[in-house]
Amino acid sequence: MNLFEFCFGIIHWLVDLVNHLWYWLGDHLPWVFGDFFDWAGDLARSHGNIAFFAIMAEVVIMVVIALVNVLNFIWIDRKWMGRMFDFYGPYYVGYRIGGWLQNLADGIKLFVKEIITPTKVDKIGFLLGPVIFVASSVLALATIQFSPRFGVFTNGIDTGVSASLLIAFAFFAIAPFAILVMGWSSNNKYTLIGGLRSAAQMMSYEIPMLLCVASVFLLAGDFSFMGVVSAQHDVWFAIPLVIGFFVFLTCMVAEVEIQPFDLPEAEAELVEGWTTEYPGFRFGLFMMTSYMRGYIGGALVTALFLGGWQGPALIPDEFWFLIKAYLVFLVIEWMRWSNMRVRVDQLLNIGWKRLMPLAVLNLLIAVALKTMGWF
Amino acid sequence: MAGEEKGVAKRDEGLERAPSLIDENPEERVIRALIDDFPSAIADFKKLKKGVVRAMIERRELYKACKMLRDKLGFEHISMISAVEYDAKFEIVYHITSYQHQLLLELITSTPKDDLSVDSVSSIWGGANWQEREAYDLMGVKFNNHPKLERILLPKDYLYHPLRKDFKG
Amino acid sequence: MAEMWINMGPQHPMTHGLWNLRIKVDGETIVDAEPEVGYLHRGIEKLCEDRTYTQIIPIADRLCYGASLAWSHLYCMTVEDLMGIEVPERAEYIRVAALEMQRIASHLMWLAAYAADLGAMIGFIYSMRDREVFIDILQALSGSRITYNFPRIGGVAHDVYPTFERDTLRACGYMEKKLKEYEDLYEGSKVFMMRNEGVGVLKKQDAMNLGVTGPSLRASGVKYDIRKDMPYSVYPEIDFEPATHPDCDCYSRFKVRMDEMYQSCRIIRQAVAKMPKGKWRVLAPRNGPVGTGIGRVEDPRGEGMMYVVGNGTDRPYRLKIRSPIFVSVSAAPKMLIGYKVADVVAIMGGLDMCIGETDR
Repeated sequence: MNLFEFCFGIIHWLVDLVNHLWYWLGDHLPWVFGDFFDWAGDLARSHGNIAFFAIMAEVVIMVVIALVNVLNFIWIDRKWMGRMFDFYGPYYVGYRIGGWLQNLADGIKLFVKEIITPTKVDKIGFLLGPVIFVASSVLALATIQFSPRFGVFTNGIDTGVSASLLIAFAFFAIAPFAILVMGWSSNNKYTLIGGLRSAAQMMSYEIPMLLCVASVFLLAGDFSFMGVVSAQHDVWFAIPLVIGFFVFLTCMVAEVEIQPFDLPEAEAELVEGWTTEYPGFRFGLFMMTSYMRGYIGGALVTALFLGGWQGPALIPDEFWFLIKAYLVFLVIEWMRWSNMRVRVDQLLNIGWKRLMPLAVLNLLIAVALKTMGWF
Repeated sequence: MAGEEKGVAKRDEGLERAPSLIDENPEERVIRALIDDFPSAIADFKKLKKGVVRAMIERRELYKACKMLRDKLGFEHISMISAVEYDAKFEIVYHITSYQHQLLLELITSTPKDDLSVDSVSSIWGGANWQEREAYDLMGVKFNNHPKLERILLPKDYLYHPLRKDFKG
Repeated sequence: MAEMWINMGPQHPMTHGLWNLRIKVDGETIVDAEPEVGYLHRGIEKLCEDRTYTQIIPIADRLCYGASLAWSHLYCMTVEDLMGIEVPERAEYIRVAALEMQRIASHLMWLAAYAADLGAMIGFIYSMRDREVFIDILQALSGSRITYNFPRIGGVAHDVYPTFERDTLRACGYMEKKLKEYEDLYEGSKVFMMRNEGVGVLKKQDAMNLGVTGPSLRASGVKYDIRKDMPYSVYPEIDFEPATHPDCDCYSRFKVRMDEMYQSCRIIRQAVAKMPKGKWRVLAPRNGPVGTGIGRVEDPRGEGMMYVVGNGTDRPYRLKIRSPIFVSVSAAPKMLIGYKVADVVAIMGGLDMCIGETDR
């Protein structure tokens, strides 16, 4: 039974419950209103309507799970960093659960701050930029499935959008455009520099990333999440495509703007970079979106290279997926706090001169493996 | 110092003095060079302690003396430029260091209060640039031929020179 | 993109202290630079003309709050030169031991800020943790953590506490172990080397002419250390090697400071071993003679000098302070032109700026 049928069942039960009362009311009203009530009740019970609300419910569940995971990521990030730096991470808020509630405290703090819009900014860019940024990142969530049964589906036997990975990468890649718009419209030299750096970085790391993804598509023969993960039932793609795995991991770190590649928001130089002029909750949204992109990146790495939800049947598939995504995240964080920031021209150097040839090499290996008939 | 030389010369008159290989008294060498080149301008020289020499010089010969110090005698670094205000005059004190010979020379110039200007040495030593600006800012001493004589520590439109004795806060 | 002037500061997380750096950029490359100081000017030289010789010692501490013991020691040395006082040997050894510990603490603070600016938060935390070891010893010795008010004209304020020797030797051993760890951490990181090698080159001739002193000068290949070449206090009797490095870039400034920390540990061990018994202070006369006095030390940041003019009363007539960073910052444009905006952090961090002494 997949998630769609689960939500369908729940919504159907809810609609039936309400409809009991509704039809009873309709029976006791004069003939015009009674007809209307009957018509409305039948409409509510129709398959299309319940399916629509079931999809809404699925989306809400996926977004809530993503947000809870993001909160977890932030907490793990700070605790892990604390252990590496020889201090406690969040400690007092939520004392007994290790300081997890610190996230909520920070969120509330950011929420109650005054939202200031400077006068000389370009209003449309300033206000729409964050919307595009956050929206495109959340849209990429729609394509992520935790298992064959748990995802955003449209009917009971659906296995996800047929080109879901392509769509995920497409949404992911809208972000540089939004950052550029935000950086320019803030009317601040620093944000402009930050926005340009960020756009340059993201665009130059898209290409090796997509080349690695292309090599995985080649071996899997399919563009969708389901197809790529099922093709790894014998061996995870990380093993034949080792080079691709590491190149993809590096590019993902650069896309999500985590150290060593976080020069656009280098605090020491540019005072938060392109997010400088956004106060209060808007900044909180950016931080959350940044971690959400990290979460999406981890999920994509897991799906493409680490076998998705394949694993011994001790624990359900969904948990395997999450465990692998968390492990990827832990490794990324480990790399983050041990390394220093790379300067922007050296960063572009690495992207074009070092990762690109490796990605092409990886593609050649994939072609060789496919023609030899091993996949 | 002068008496010793006279005594030696009386005994061995006519003999040429052998050049000494070890610079036993590098401070003396500096003073001698300064006196030789600027006989009228140098006055009141003395050795303060090991490696430190003081000389007073008139301000008209300051620039040439500093150029000679850097080029011929190997004083590569200007440590400090101070301005001190006395009743009738200002004294500008230059502390110049030689890395090669490990010497510190204290060169003192004085200017009268009504014509408060000295030649700038910032074209000889770049390190003198900001120090002279500071002396101008706080004391009001003008340095001729300075590339950019502006206030540095106080706001650009400040009217007074606070370190003078007649400025009472 | 057209050239534009950017203001880095006065409110900026990177600039340690309150100063402004105006750079003219063409895209990402720096074409011109102009530092502006003076935001922290407190009028210390004028202040000192109104206080007695002993009252100025805490003020001298606050000149550079990163290495405050060096400045109050410099002031006491200058006044002792003016008054012609001979300081007892035990006091000199105590001063040297405390000074070298202050040097290590100052360099560790520099390292913390430098690493944090480059992005390695981990360097910040580790350096501050190790600095606590030395600050604790200095606190037990003098009573406060940052501005000590410990030297007096004619010696030090009081004798060392009973377990001073044991604590210092333990601290030196700990520091030498940690320095090896830092070498692995920084020099083993390819990113660190990429950001520091070849960046901010200041040639030897320029360094000497522009008045740069201290570790930055020794990093340009000039082997000049005031403690060795014009020694003061008991440095003639202590055996150590001034650290130099032939390349003139940011990496060599980093290396010189790390080596200086090693050498400081060596000096502390010798000073503590050779400390004789005796008085730790002679009482200085209240009124200073008419005359002048000079003091010159090797501050952790360069060459510090003071020139005091006495006029027979108990207050100095004029006190002039030479700050090493004041002159080094004026040499900054030479080091910045031709590099990228992202290099400003590494270059200015390598100079180890402390605005307290720049602006006085």
